[in-house]
Formats: sequence, structure tokens, C-alpha cells
Amino acid sequence: MVAAGASQPSAPPVQPAQEGRTALSLAVVVVVVLALAPVAWLVAFACSGPDGLSGLSLGSDGLQQLLNTVGLVTAVGGLGAALGAGSGWLTARCQFAGRRWLRIAQLLPLATPSYLLAATLIDVGSRLGQRVHGSLWTVVVLTLSTYSYVFLLSTESFSVSGRRQLEACRSLGVGPWGSFWRVALPMAMPSIGAGIALAGMEVVNELGAVELLGVPTLSAGILLRWQQQGNPHGAVALALVALVIVALLVAAERKLRERSRCWNLGNDSSELERWSLRGWRLVAAWMVTLLPPLLTLGLPVLWAALSWDQLQAEPIGELASLSGRSFALALAASGITVAAGLLLAMAKRWIPNQLIQQLSFLAGLGYAIPGTVIALALMLIGGPAGLAPMLLLIWGYTDRFLAVAKGGLDAAFERIPPSMDEAATSLGCSWMAVLRRIHLPLLRSPLVVGTLLVFVDTVKELPITFSLRPFDFDTLAVRVFQYASDERVGAALVPALLILILGLAASLALIPNLERIEVEPRS
Amino acid sequence: MSGFATLRSMRRQITPVRIGAAALIGITLTAAATASRAQSTEIGVYSGRHYNTDKQLYSQFTRQTGIKVKLLEAKDDALIERLRSEGKNSPADVLVLVDAARLDKASDMGLFQPARSAALLRDVPLSLRDAKGRWYGLTRRVRVVLVNPRLVSPASIKTYADLANPALKGKLCLRDRQSVYNQSLVADQMIQRGDAAAAAWVKKMTANVTKPYFTSDTPLIRAIGNGQCGVGLVNTYYLARMVSGESGAADKALASKLKVVFTNPAHVNISGAGVTRNAKNPAAALKLIEFLASPTGGKGYAEANHEYPLKGYGSNATLKAFGTFKASGISAEQMGAKNKAAVKLMETNGWK
Repeated sequence: MVAAGASQPSAPPVQPAQEGRTALSLAVVVVVVLALAPVAWLVAFACSGPDGLSGLSLGSDGLQQLLNTVGLVTAVGGLGAALGAGSGWLTARCQFAGRRWLRIAQLLPLATPSYLLAATLIDVGSRLGQRVHGSLWTVVVLTLSTYSYVFLLSTESFSVSGRRQLEACRSLGVGPWGSFWRVALPMAMPSIGAGIALAGMEVVNELGAVELLGVPTLSAGILLRWQQQGNPHGAVALALVALVIVALLVAAERKLRERSRCWNLGNDSSELERWSLRGWRLVAAWMVTLLPPLLTLGLPVLWAALSWDQLQAEPIGELASLSGRSFALALAASGITVAAGLLLAMAKRWIPNQLIQQLSFLAGLGYAIPGTVIALALMLIGGPAGLAPMLLLIWGYTDRFLAVAKGGLDAAFERIPPSMDEAATSLGCSWMAVLRRIHLPLLRSPLVVGTLLVFVDTVKELPITFSLRPFDFDTLAVRVFQYASDERVGAALVPALLILILGLAASLALIPNLERIEVEPRS
Repeated sequence: MSGFATLRSMRRQITPVRIGAAALIGITLTAAATASRAQSTEIGVYSGRHYNTDKQLYSQFTRQTGIKVKLLEAKDDALIERLRSEGKNSPADVLVLVDAARLDKASDMGLFQPARSAALLRDVPLSLRDAKGRWYGLTRRVRVVLVNPRLVSPASIKTYADLANPALKGKLCLRDRQSVYNQSLVADQMIQRGDAAAAAWVKKMTANVTKPYFTSDTPLIRAIGNGQCGVGLVNTYYLARMVSGESGAADKALASKLKVVFTNPAHVNISGAGVTRNAKNPAAALKLIEFLASPTGGKGYAEANHEYPLKGYGSNATLKAFGTFKASGISAEQMGAKNKAAVKLMETNGWK
């Protein structure tokens, strides 16, 4: 249904603007209902408890879990923003040896599951007699695994927007540093904000790494209350607190975006020369862009060096079928999720109805709910109805990653001047024609980035895959987690490497698209 | 020219959706093809265990009986929730869980059906199965005291109670309260010694603990090995893996220096299985459980993962070298029933 709405290409080019919007609204409502069903189920469930809403409380552990979550979101958000925007700017607008490769290398940390990073760190640490435990390490692990969101969204914005302003900077003698602070950074704020919001949500829903590193957060608390203490209502209370945190995050991001709203198409000038970096600036640039990927990749390498005699691999055939399943699932999920995200982003632009606007905003909140909780909710919806596990799986992925696809699109839509749509509609184009002839070509790079992010996220996704998959349907991430949780890092590394390779392959396939935007200004 | 551009943008527009749809259809077809093969007898197994050696054993069962095994391995709690929500629609015939408390929880939720057979009554000791035949233990895992003899004298520890000795202050390392193995140990002690004594024990013992608490066994064993801790509580199979060299030469050298102390009596936990309430093929399901509980099954299920079989100490050389133990005799069912109280007791007495 979603697909049909988004891919209908045969609308006649001349059509009154209002026509067809009912279909759009309808499609949006379907997507929103599907996306909100698990959350709505949770809320209804919480209210139906023996003592209704009055039974909901944080409890003794809840406060600590709340503080841990807020602390982690703040620290990881801040560090990730600095690292992501820094490397985004450096690789987009500065010239230094290895820039092109380092740009691609920023995706390595993104493709590394954080629970694997944590398990490997703990294992390497315990071999070297170093305790890896607690908040500081958690911040390191989560920053590494989430800053790429900020990087991807901001670098896209750095490379396409504000070229004229940057040229002005250059001609006025403002250096790379000054141009960054005074012009590029404020212009990229919407994208950076979207990236931080994604990273923050990722932190809120993180489970594996925080459990291993011994920092109880809300998501760990939710699971504990639900499954170990048999207190589903208490669990939902915590889940609602987590949702509030995320809603605040997203609201702050929107506020930020409003302040720095500017319409900018980004194709207003020919290729802009990059700043060449020398001396300490070059060293600093290398540090910022090289260290995070080196750390994520270096860790498994260090592990292998310490214990090469323990490295085990499954038969090639088994590895191939694991990879095949991961690949197919990720492909399906990214296609469907990006289509749904595009639909919601468009609705925001075309349908002035306040309710639809708010609902399309709420639909993205699924990203903040721990995958385990979504999985539980979907089980409880799908189990009695006898829905196929594969269907639930795709539903779960789409719900989880809708925000990932939508975030970049929303930010990019805001750069397209409404005057363009107005001109097109006044010439008789329907929303579909505007989408096809104006928006899609302009949105190519956020679509590419969104697809890539959802693809990589799905490949490494664990809790939903783990608990909703059908019989005999292990994926790479499932295998990695099974070995890692069984404290067999040696067997986990090969499937983990394949996750990295899948992620990198997807990046390499899509990166040329991003690069082309830089060098081929459209007329 | 503009026609070409439109065509190009059209293609661009359709592609992600089309790819997604194609992949989805592909997956569905694969799943459908898998389902249509279900002519011969087939059972679905939900398992909280995930060891490669388990899979070999299921294949062996298929070769022996012609019954195909469809497998889904996931976290125990998630499997319980899934089975419950699926109800009558569930494709699972057998549920395998790790830890006595979880087996008890699943049977309380009515997820198992009573099933009896002479073979099971013969192979599974009374204390390791449900009195109503809803689940049967399949392997035994022992929580032992592991000592670094350079720091703590192994002779100074005879029972779990000795870990509360103030002389061990700063030398004891433990996993956190979330560990089901620790929860069942505390439940075991509550039953043996009474709630008040168990509470006093936990309070004094946790005062000895070097913080922070560990979240897994292997790093805990390494910390004892390299002298950061003098003594700790671990499951034997993690240690056996290291001693047998499965996790590398360095681990082997480190772990071999350590001494296993079987307290008298020792706390024994289990992994076990039962026939699900809505099993489509309960007879074949029971056959699988019988096979897993039999001495042949025990070899593949327990010993291959360095766990103890249901009876005796098995033929695993590494385990044999650890010595023998006397089980506490507290039944898995009793421990399961005490689980919630045990967690509460740990929480109020400082076990983080």
C-alpha cells in the first residue's frame, strides 16, 4: 500500500494541485497506524493494569536508570556531535591526503554492532588485566557507534549547501576554521540536529552494550521489569519515561531547526575548491577522521593478535546463507522504510492538517523504543493473530528505523524553497508530479543516505530479529550475538567481519552518488 | 530530452521500492518453500541454549528417527513470551530453557503439557524434573567456588557460607544480581538454610566484594587468574572451556593455575525441556526429549559443552580433573518457586 502510493508514476503531468491528496493522506494514515500500533498497544496495556495509571511508578531502580540514560544521552550526544560534525566538515570541505578514503571509513563504526564492540573491549581488557566497566567506557563505545549518524547527515549538508556563502568567506579572507564556525555550521544545524536526535535515540534504546558494561539504563530496566520481575506494567511505565526523553530530544531538535531555517538548494554554484590543510591542522584532521574508524577496526584486530589461536569460523556455505539472509532482510527493510519515510516527509509538506502533521512526527518515535520492547509488542499483536514471523520482522524493522529514513529527508525538504512547489503547482503539477520532477532529483542524496543507514542498521539489528524470526533463519547479527553472549568472542568475529563487509559494500555502492553531487552541479 | 529525464527520474523513483518488494517476495517464497516441505514428521524446537554442538545432536536425532527438527534459538525470556502470545498458533513442539527458575516460570504460565514415559522416568532423577511431568532436566551445571591459590587458601572454603568470612574482604569477585545462576544459587541457600540465615550470608558476603560487579563469567575467571580477585563464583563450563584450550593458550595457562572448590553440598542448576501445551506433534516432541535425556543425548548435549550429564560425572576429561561433587538435592522446581524472593533478598542485602 505504501509502495503503491509512493511509486505511482503515471499521473498526468497537468492536474489540479488538490487532486490525489486524499490518496496521499490515506497512505500516510496507514503508515502512521502501522508505526504507532506497537506504542499504542503498550500505552493501552499500561492503562489496563490492575490499578490503572496510578500503578505506574519509577520505583527504586528507575531513578538511577533514568539518570544513567539522561547522562549517556547528553555525553554521547555532545561528543558525537563534535566528532561527527568535525569529520563531516573536514572530509567535505577540506583537502588532505587520504580524504576520500577517510570519508568512507567513517562508516566503519556505524557498521559495527555496539554489543560486539563492548564484548570485544571487555574481552581484550580482561586478557590485559584491565577492567572495562562503567559509564566512561559506555560513553566511548556508544559515541563510536553513533557519531556516524551526525557525520553522514552533516557531511551531506556541508557538501551541498552554502557554497556561495563559503566562496564569500574565502574571498574575504576567512579561513577554514572561521568559515566553519560562522557560516557552514549554522547552515548545517538542521542536519546536525537530526543526527544528534538519531544518536540520542540510539542511546536510549541501546541494550546489549549497557548490560555488558554494567550501566543500567531505562531500556535495561524495561526488560528486567517485564521479563525477570514479571511486572509488565512497571516496564511500560519506564518505556513511557524513555519516550518522554526522546520526545524532548526531538522537540529540541525541531526548535533548533526553526531558528536556523534557510531555503537553500545547494546547486547554486560550480564546484567549490576545498581548503588544503597543512601542518598541525593536517595532523588534527587526521586525528579526528582516522581515530574512530581505527579504534573500531583496531579492536577486533588487537583481539585477533592477542588470541589468534582461538579464531574459529563456520563452513563457507553456512556463512554464505547467513549473509544472504541478512542482505535480503536489510534490502527489503531499507526499501520499504525509505518509501514510508518519504511518504511521511511529503505529507508534512503537502497536507496542512495539524493532526496529520503531529501523527507523522509521532510515527518516528519507534526508533527510541528498545527493539526488545517493539519485539514484545509485535509478538503480542501478531502472535494471537497468527501473522507470519517474516511479516512481523519487516514491520518491526520499518517501525524501528522509520526515524532514520525520515530524519534526513525532513532536514533536506526544509532546504527546498516552498516557492518551488508553489511555482510547480501553479503550473498545474500535482503533488506526485512535483515529487517526480522536483523533489526526488533534489532529494537524491538524503534518500541514498537514508537507505544506507537503514540497510546497515538492519544488518546489525538484533533484538527484533532475534525474537521474531522464523525457524532456521539465523542472520549474521544473530550469530554474532549468540557467540558474544556465550562469551566466545573468537567465533563471533568472522560473522561480525561479514557485517562490516556488508555495510561497507553498501556504502561503497552508494558513496559515488554522494560524491557525484559534489562535482556535478545540476543545471 | 525532457522525456529522457522523466524516464530517468521515474526509474530512480521506483527503484528502492521495487527492490524492497522483490526482496520481500523472495523471502516469502523461501519461507513458503520451507513450509511446504513439511510432509515427513517435523517438530519445532524453541531453545534458549545456543551451542553448535546442540545442532549436531539434533541432526543425529533426525538420522536416527527420521523426525526433522526445525530450530529457533533465542533468549529464554523472549521465547517464553513468544510461545505465550502465539498460543494455539505456535509452531513449537518443544521448549528448551536454561535455568531452573525459567522452567518453573514457563510451567506456571501453562506453556507445557504433562508428558510421561518410562524412559524419562528412568533417565531423569526425581530432583531434576517437574513432579507433574511438564519438564525434564537435560544437563547439569554446577556453580563452584574458584580460587587463586596464591591469594586464598582453597582449604579455607568448604561451603558457600565461607565466602562471607571477613578475611576475604576485597578478595571476592561476583557477577551481578541479573545473573540467573546467582539467583538460583541464592534460592538454593534460602531453601537449605532459611531466609534469615541466607539474608545475613548475602549481606556479609557482598561486603567482601571487590566492585564493580562483573557482567559475565569469563572476564571474572581471568581476573581471578591474574590476581585482581582471589576468589569468585563461576559455572564450571566457562572454566572448562578455558582449561581445555578452547579459548587460546594464554587462557589455558591462566585457568590451569586455579583451583575449583566444590562446596559440600554443591549448588546444581539445569537446562531442561518440555512438550509445549499446543504441540502439533507431542509424540515426536517427547521422543526428542527422551533422546536428549538418554545417555547418548547427554554426551552430545552436556559433555560437548562441558556440562555435567544428568547422572554421574560423564567422561569429559577436563571436568573429571576438577573432581567430584555432592549435589544439594534441592529440586529445580523448589528453586524456581523461590526465584522472586531470592532476587528481592539479593536486592535488599546489597547484591548489585
